[in-house]
Amino acid sequence: MNTVHTTLLVLGALYVILRWVFPRDRELSSAYLRYLLLGIAAFLILCPFVWLICAVLKDKDVLMQYTFLPPLTEWSSETLNFNNFLTLFAGEETVEGVVYFWEYVINSLFLASASTSISLLFASMGGYALSKYEFQGKKAVMGFMVGSMMFPAMLFLAPVYKMIYNFGWMDTYLALLIPGACSVFGMFLFRQAMTAVPDSLIEAARIDGASEFGIYFGVVMPLVRPMTGAFCLITFLGNWNNFIGPQVFIQTQSKLPLPVVLNQYMGVYTQEYGVFLAGTLIAIIPPAVLFFALQKEFVSGLTSGAVKG
Amino acid sequence: MNFPFGKAALLLLQIAIVTGGIHLYTSLDRQSERPDLVMAIFAPNHEEAYREVLGEFEKKHGVKVQLQLVSAKALQSRLQSSLLTGAEVPDLVELMAGSLGYFARGPLEDVGFVDLTERLHQEKLYSKMVESRYSLWSSRNRIFALPHDVHPVALCYRRDLIQDLKIDVNALKTWAEFEKMGRNITTDLDGDGNPDRYALDMPLSSNWAINLLLLQQDQQLFNEEGKVVFDTETTAKTIAWYVQQTQGKNRIAYEAGWGQGLAKAMNDGLVLFYFCPDWRSKQFEMDMPNLDGKLGLIPLPAWKLGDRRTSTWGGTGLAITKACKKQDLAWELAKFLYLNDEDLGKRFRATNIIPPVKSSWNTPAIKEERRFYGGQSVGQIYSDLAKETPPQYVSPYTNLAGTKITEVYLDAVDYFQESGPQGLEASILSNLKEKADYVRTVLGRNVFLVKSEAKP
Amino acid sequence: MTSVSKKAWVPWAFLTPYLVLTAIFFVYPFLNSIWLAFHQTNGPKSSIYVGLSNFDFVLQDPLFYTSVKNTTIYAVVSVLFQLPLSLGLAMLLNSGKSRIRNVFRLILFSPHLVGQIFVGILFAVIFTPRYGLFNIGLQELIGWGLEERWLANPNLVMPALIIVSMWLYVGFNMIYFLAALQNVDEGLMDAAKVDGANRFQTFWNVTLPQIKPVAIFVVVMSTIGSYQLFELPYALLGGAGPNNSGLTIVGYLYSTAFESGDLGTGAAIGWLLALIIFVISTLQIKIAKVE
Repeated sequence: MNTVHTTLLVLGALYVILRWVFPRDRELSSAYLRYLLLGIAAFLILCPFVWLICAVLKDKDVLMQYTFLPPLTEWSSETLNFNNFLTLFAGEETVEGVVYFWEYVINSLFLASASTSISLLFASMGGYALSKYEFQGKKAVMGFMVGSMMFPAMLFLAPVYKMIYNFGWMDTYLALLIPGACSVFGMFLFRQAMTAVPDSLIEAARIDGASEFGIYFGVVMPLVRPMTGAFCLITFLGNWNNFIGPQVFIQTQSKLPLPVVLNQYMGVYTQEYGVFLAGTLIAIIPPAVLFFALQKEFVSGLTSGAVKG
Repeated sequence: MNFPFGKAALLLLQIAIVTGGIHLYTSLDRQSERPDLVMAIFAPNHEEAYREVLGEFEKKHGVKVQLQLVSAKALQSRLQSSLLTGAEVPDLVELMAGSLGYFARGPLEDVGFVDLTERLHQEKLYSKMVESRYSLWSSRNRIFALPHDVHPVALCYRRDLIQDLKIDVNALKTWAEFEKMGRNITTDLDGDGNPDRYALDMPLSSNWAINLLLLQQDQQLFNEEGKVVFDTETTAKTIAWYVQQTQGKNRIAYEAGWGQGLAKAMNDGLVLFYFCPDWRSKQFEMDMPNLDGKLGLIPLPAWKLGDRRTSTWGGTGLAITKACKKQDLAWELAKFLYLNDEDLGKRFRATNIIPPVKSSWNTPAIKEERRFYGGQSVGQIYSDLAKETPPQYVSPYTNLAGTKITEVYLDAVDYFQESGPQGLEASILSNLKEKADYVRTVLGRNVFLVKSEAKP
Repeated sequence: MTSVSKKAWVPWAFLTPYLVLTAIFFVYPFLNSIWLAFHQTNGPKSSIYVGLSNFDFVLQDPLFYTSVKNTTIYAVVSVLFQLPLSLGLAMLLNSGKSRIRNVFRLILFSPHLVGQIFVGILFAVIFTPRYGLFNIGLQELIGWGLEERWLANPNLVMPALIIVSMWLYVGFNMIYFLAALQNVDEGLMDAAKVDGANRFQTFWNVTLPQIKPVAIFVVVMSTIGSYQLFELPYALLGGAGPNNSGLTIVGYLYSTAFESGDLGTGAAIGWLLALIIFVISTLQIKIAKVE
């Protein structure tokens, strides 16, 4: 019997009481139960995040002593401080000189945003072609696309690695930006979204003398902005969190993005877990921000493929 | 006109351009004056020691040397792929024990380091060092790195708590006696069913202690010719003993781990004895200043009275990469850092690492007493043990063999938990044979290794 | 939906980036991986022809079978446990005011924003024995688990992985189910109620069939994703875990190709993986169609 057990018991009792006091209002007790369960789920989901925030603020000597935060009586600059961040940003020695943490953040930002921009262009172009044109070989291309999705990415890692080495792209960002620059999944998403664009608009633009590319750029793309938002988020997320690509292709420390660096730090800061946890917290922020901004588009974009078939 | 792709896309594009620019700027900025030699190391205590003497070398030869401290994990994995793909590598690298095997996996010509064998013999340096150490840094009888250390292993213990318990550490001459003592002191102090005081720190999921105990008995994973030799009765006996010390009601060991878990265990007195090679004794001094004066060192208990009372664990070697453009200068630096007696003495103070250079063991710096260890002469203890350190032969499959040993150990744990000690050793032995055969198969598959058996 | 275009090359122009990239980075590596599978390499430089020896070795390697076993257990348990949970949560969320729903949806989905690697790093510390969040929480809740070494005990590694992946993906799959549930025809549900069906019957006979396409999609997608698990155990366990209990097929591939340097055997493993995924997803779709 401890705090956790008592809390659960009280919450459970509340449900029983509601059922008993309002026997005819089933909705009330149902709603209560529903939100209780959701609340528990949300609590479990949020726990690690809360713990993370507490952990990065705790001094390394007390990290293991208190589960979340020290009791108010123990709050002082000795137990709670920003030392972890100071250490994190102080810079580390590498073979090429001192590298600072913010450089890794820049790397991640660059890789994720650049690859998203490129992917966006290529996938939307491809989706447009498949959506608004009929041409010989279209079925073959689409069949090929579907077929290609059936092979796991890992299959290609070894030969692509060898290829990158032969191109001389090893240890450059080209190796990370180019190979995956056109996603089949993206093309399908855009194709789906573009079918909603009325052909009449396109015809009208043609009659007005617009070039094909101009139509794509000026008429169609503005109308599929929600899908663009969804695609940007999905691609950015995937790229931001990509580990195996940089791990395998990048050798120079200063070019590494956050996932690889933080994984390394687990082995470096063995007495100060708070340092790499602070780095992890920082690594979570940009995708979170982007997600906040693009929530609605994300959900509709993600599910449009699944729900319709 | 609004950006046709939407605000989000526009933002991302802008971020891409800005960050790309910043990245380009910082990387160009970094291309400044390249020093004559770049040396990469991963041990912070080495760094301090080398920095002190580097100035002298730079003045003497009129060059600039850059010392870089890199994380061990990064160094190993980056180096591995960089050497193979021809990316930029440092001129000198300190390598971790056992890693040479990986670098020497392919054909001998593909090894990214300079073969030092001839230089060592020509300059009559070969016999100045503890010869058993070369085994760690050779492949197919060619030496690729200069040994930095010997790393004899002792036992470190909580002097104050042991005194309180009235235990005479000098009487712990064999493992049997240690076991007996261990059983007496491993107890549950607060009645919650878990012991709160253990005798020995032994890992449960990693094999460094088993390896060290095997080496103590001259039991290798691979022999000089690189053949698999660990499926013997000695290995089986050792693993069986290990299982019984770490499992069951009669256990005397706890896995204190590393990092903050270890610190807590040592401070709280959760575990009283720790395997302590010379490098770890300095780690304790650096990480646990509040235990000043409370720790002591004794040699390992022997397996049979009168037998070897030490083993070896880990090691660093200095290799010169083939990509280095000033290999002679690099060799001079290597000798300067590793073979200078007075410096080695001073360095010992900073690292507790006993050098493999036998003549250096007589310098006063090494013989002095340490307050942290209750007035004992750390140097004397380790240099005495250094003479007996066993060799350690490596192979590209050292890590694989180590993993197999751990598997055998874990299977033995399962067996022990189900059927107790009866037949434990026999089951371990047959499991060992199976795993050893597996390693033999993998080894046999390596066409590069098998093809190029160089006989000098 | 068609447009009559006099310039037949236009669609091809739009498809050019895709075609060029696919030719270079899909078709060529595809063929090359077949070539590689029959060679042994030392990094990307040296290589020697070895015939079927790579496949021979992998198919006899107990390590390969361990990785298949681990990955399969993970995939099966994930699907069996996670999906009903996601569905349940989606149902709880379905009936409710939209603003509150969005808040909960955001919270439950948030783990997915954190990449597998970061999750692995985070949970590696959370699973610390004796002092870590998870053990302490477990001890408070059910009075057991304080000393359990989730990441060092080979028997607990897989449960730990499954717990973490549940935390990661429950919200993600929930989004799909939620969308599907919102498309369920209210009219049919009301009709069923009028007919006297209770909640369970309504669910089983009306709701479930209507979300079946989405459910199948989620199951197949989860399975394929599970079989490619790599980054999470890599960060959490620092590799294969004790006694290889956390070794997945892709983990085995990675260690063979990039730690041992043999790209050829790595390619061979890649093909075996592709075969496994193909067989399993085909089976799943067939079974789903039959029902």
